[in-house]
Amino acid sequence: MTSLTQAGPTVPVGPARTSHARKKPRGSGRKWLEIGFFTGPALIVYVSLVFVPVILAAYYSFFNWNGMGPLERFIGFDNYTRALADPVFHTAVKNNFFVLIASLIIQGPLALGIALMLNRKLRGRGLIRLLIFVPYIISEVIAGLAFRLILRAPPNPTTFGPFDAMLNAVGLGELRQLWLADPNVAMWTVFGVLTWKYVGFAILIMLAGLQGVPEELGEAAAIDGASWWQTQRHITIPLLGPTIRVWAFLSIIGSLQLFDMVSLLTPGGGPLQSTHTMATYMVLYGQNRSQIGFGSAVAVILFVISLTIALLYQRFALRRDLEGSLTGREG
Amino acid sequence: MARNRKVAVAASMAAMALLVAACTGNTTPDTTPEPTTEPGETTTEPNEPVDPVTLRWWHNGTGEPLAGLWDSVAREFEANNPGVTVEVQGFQNEELQRTLIPNALLSGDAPDIFQAWGGGEIRDQVAADYLKDLTGLVDEEVAAIGPSVGGWQLDGKTYALPFTFGISGFWYNTELFADAGITATPTTLDELYDAIEKLKAIGVAPIAVGAGDGWPAAHYWYHFALKSCSPAALSAAQAELTFDDPCFVRAGELLEEFIASEPFNEGFLATSAQQGAGSSAGLVATGNAAMELMGHWNAGVMGGILRDETGDEEATPPEFLGWFNFPAIDGAAGDPTAALGGGDGFAVAKDAPDAAVDLLKYILSPEVQQRFGESGAGIPTVDAAQDSITDVNLNLVQEGVASASFVQLWLDTAYGGVVGGAMNENIVNLFGGQGSPQGIVDAMKAAADTL
Amino acid sequence: MASAFAPGIVESSSQRLRRRLAQPFVYLVALIVCGIMVAPIGYVMIGGFRSNLQITANPAGWPDPWDLSNYVSVLTSARFWGQAWTSTLAAVGTTLGVVILGVMAAFVIARYEFRGRQALYSLFTAGLMFPLTIAILPLSIMLRDLGLYGQVLGLIVPQVAFALPITVIILVPFLRAVPAELEDAASIDGASKVGFFWRILLPLSGPGLVTVGVLAFVGSWNAYLLPLFVLGAGGAHVNDYTLPLGVAQFSSQYSSDTAGVLAFTSLAMIPALVFFLAMQNRIVSGLQGAVKG
Repeated sequence: MTSLTQAGPTVPVGPARTSHARKKPRGSGRKWLEIGFFTGPALIVYVSLVFVPVILAAYYSFFNWNGMGPLERFIGFDNYTRALADPVFHTAVKNNFFVLIASLIIQGPLALGIALMLNRKLRGRGLIRLLIFVPYIISEVIAGLAFRLILRAPPNPTTFGPFDAMLNAVGLGELRQLWLADPNVAMWTVFGVLTWKYVGFAILIMLAGLQGVPEELGEAAAIDGASWWQTQRHITIPLLGPTIRVWAFLSIIGSLQLFDMVSLLTPGGGPLQSTHTMATYMVLYGQNRSQIGFGSAVAVILFVISLTIALLYQRFALRRDLEGSLTGREG
Repeated sequence: MARNRKVAVAASMAAMALLVAACTGNTTPDTTPEPTTEPGETTTEPNEPVDPVTLRWWHNGTGEPLAGLWDSVAREFEANNPGVTVEVQGFQNEELQRTLIPNALLSGDAPDIFQAWGGGEIRDQVAADYLKDLTGLVDEEVAAIGPSVGGWQLDGKTYALPFTFGISGFWYNTELFADAGITATPTTLDELYDAIEKLKAIGVAPIAVGAGDGWPAAHYWYHFALKSCSPAALSAAQAELTFDDPCFVRAGELLEEFIASEPFNEGFLATSAQQGAGSSAGLVATGNAAMELMGHWNAGVMGGILRDETGDEEATPPEFLGWFNFPAIDGAAGDPTAALGGGDGFAVAKDAPDAAVDLLKYILSPEVQQRFGESGAGIPTVDAAQDSITDVNLNLVQEGVASASFVQLWLDTAYGGVVGGAMNENIVNLFGGQGSPQGIVDAMKAAADTL
Repeated sequence: MASAFAPGIVESSSQRLRRRLAQPFVYLVALIVCGIMVAPIGYVMIGGFRSNLQITANPAGWPDPWDLSNYVSVLTSARFWGQAWTSTLAAVGTTLGVVILGVMAAFVIARYEFRGRQALYSLFTAGLMFPLTIAILPLSIMLRDLGLYGQVLGLIVPQVAFALPITVIILVPFLRAVPAELEDAASIDGASKVGFFWRILLPLSGPGLVTVGVLAFVGSWNAYLLPLFVLGAGGAHVNDYTLPLGVAQFSSQYSSDTAGVLAFTSLAMIPALVFFLAMQNRIVSGLQGAVKG
């Protein structure tokens, strides 16, 4: 994925060690011992719990298995064909990509715009930064539950649920919806809640990136008669490129793995299974119905999709940025 | 440094193990002697003290009166059996059935005694060897329960005991019916359509359905299938999971027509079955809808909702409640008196201690069953407790059970989780205007193929 | 005339007007954004002070009267404190594991030269492509077979494993940044490489360790999928769930008690909020640093 370039500046050779030797000469044996000792625990835990399960998932996916007892019923690619032919799975994949794309084209510019606006001396800047970040710090589960309570449908159509009541109080009662119960609206509602949760994170990352844009450039542009917007568009935003690309990468990965929020907002796949994601589909059909082989096949499909997108993205969008950032000195 | 950490890890693992063991209780086998009681007698003297045993008991009674009743039963059993501790816990029904119990069984750490809905689940759990075979241990109870124990038996062996059994039908608001000018409860489908029109004319939602939870909507298809398919076809479908009889498609077509007549409350796709005043039970309880097709427990659920909503601890099921069986369908192949029902029971885990079987027997004892009936929680299964039901509506349900020539277990219970889940999802799709009657049957067949 | 914006710049009056208007506008935007972020949390917290009757009658209203019973009943329940304890245990255990194992592995990658070092680093970074979501089904079976189901340790060990990639990625540049001269000076004084690690490198990498520690702590505290399998499916007692899992379970078991659920949810949010307030500088700068590079 990335390559390590050399360590720091070259080291001047000190006095010959042999004349001051008070310890055993460093043989490669000892070095390997130290390497093994230091990396051993991490490697054991890491490889066995991160890589092995995915390999196992690939193995289980070729069987019809309920998780108990021996793996006996080999069925080849049947689990895969079943998933790929299931309209509910198609909806799930579509939802993942919907969130992925919507996050990029809605959350991104929104966060960028707000960050640009907030990138100036403001009183209470620390407080603003704090409040914007609060949704990110709360568990997705708790946020999802809070919104499920806020967006719930009223007992009967003549009354309002909490959110609709608040809309009504400011005169927007016309906009009421069955936010989480209408199959046409539910996934948008889920996206809305996700935006609430993660746009603060995006704003903060952009603000951090903006710190790296020197003020003098803005001033020079102003001297040349550029408006604020022109400055942003031609100077600031391009300089934010690496930051934006990293944020986009994190956003893409998160969109593909969506589970917690969706499970709490719309348990069981949502109205008419309209809010399934690949992960909720996998858990419902694989774990809850005890069809581990099938669930594993879905996991492998999710893995292949994620890996492909991540590799493509890194190759074309991120390569320049990562090589520099991961090998340079940490601030 | 690594050495210190290893010691720390080992120490914390040991501490963790102790902590977890203390908190979750163990299921070490014990040597409880069998209580020596004759059938019909209640245990009034405590049994001999035994090695300490903790039983875990999971049930679905999250509201009153069931939660309180099971708690009392647990405490009494502890008092009568020194050394036995009973950890009783109530969970929301869908989660318990679809997630908690299957996962606990799968993990090998199942509770000792847990809710058993009968039918296909029993079949699957026995096949995976999760359940204790109770044959020979509960003969008195089986005799006292009668034929409805069949849903909890397999090949003549008993794996669980039902403590309540009843059939589903339409719970309705007698006052609203009177307001709408409906003089007699519908006995045929045409009369039901008629009643729906009259209710719409006075601006009342005719039927509340908790389609948000899936199964309440699915019950409509089950009833249509019950009245369209011959008993033989239904029995074959349950035994072999084959759905080739055209009556199953016919059921979907009848349902499609029914939905098209728009008899339901607004936003029914979002409505839950039992949770709060906005649920289908709540809608009927508060007078916002006229009817609900639901099981025999519904009156108790409505009472609980009214207690929560009004804060009045004495609130009971509404006075205006009435009940009638799902109407017959003229010209259909099914048995016109057939009833769709089910019950709840408790099963015992394979490796549970003997005390768990004793607890099961105590739950099914006539005395506890009598209290169960009197609490209004449902219809007890044990013969001797039948007169405990004083509620007029439950008496109607009891008559319905008694007069049914054929009783079918809920279809999603009968067919098991995989087929049942696919069936319910596709039926709810039909409610949402997607899918087709043929699509429902195709999905069921496809799901059966994956087993 | 010169403007305050930059001395020497001459602004037209329309430019100056626009700038003067921009400032209050920005405050307005900031106010709206902060308000939207905080309002739902406010709703949940205030809702806990109402009774179910109030909520049914007026879903979005103010408490009238203020009812403490919901909060009191949660604060006096064994369930809430048991779950808070489990969450704490899991988070602390995960943080310790992640920091210790992570810094050891990052040390080797950052300061040793050996064949396969590049491969080792790539191994860790590749882990970002293997998220928990994909591994969860086989992982849960593995944990079950290892006897870690239903226990906090079954949470800690996998969480450590899955946190290692980001930890190593953050720590390696930190450890590299320490100049080689320091290491040489240490070896001249007779310290071994391990001694250098222990006495010089570790103290110097404090900020990096705090950053990864905070990330690991927050990640563990808010986790849901893994506890759902390990504790929920694993059959642990409700009082031994973590808080997010406990809140979800509470909301389904007591679904008709809306006020109670709101109170429980609010209280479950508080530890995270308090922690955030205490560590906010670390969290924010850590994330920014990880992104900026």
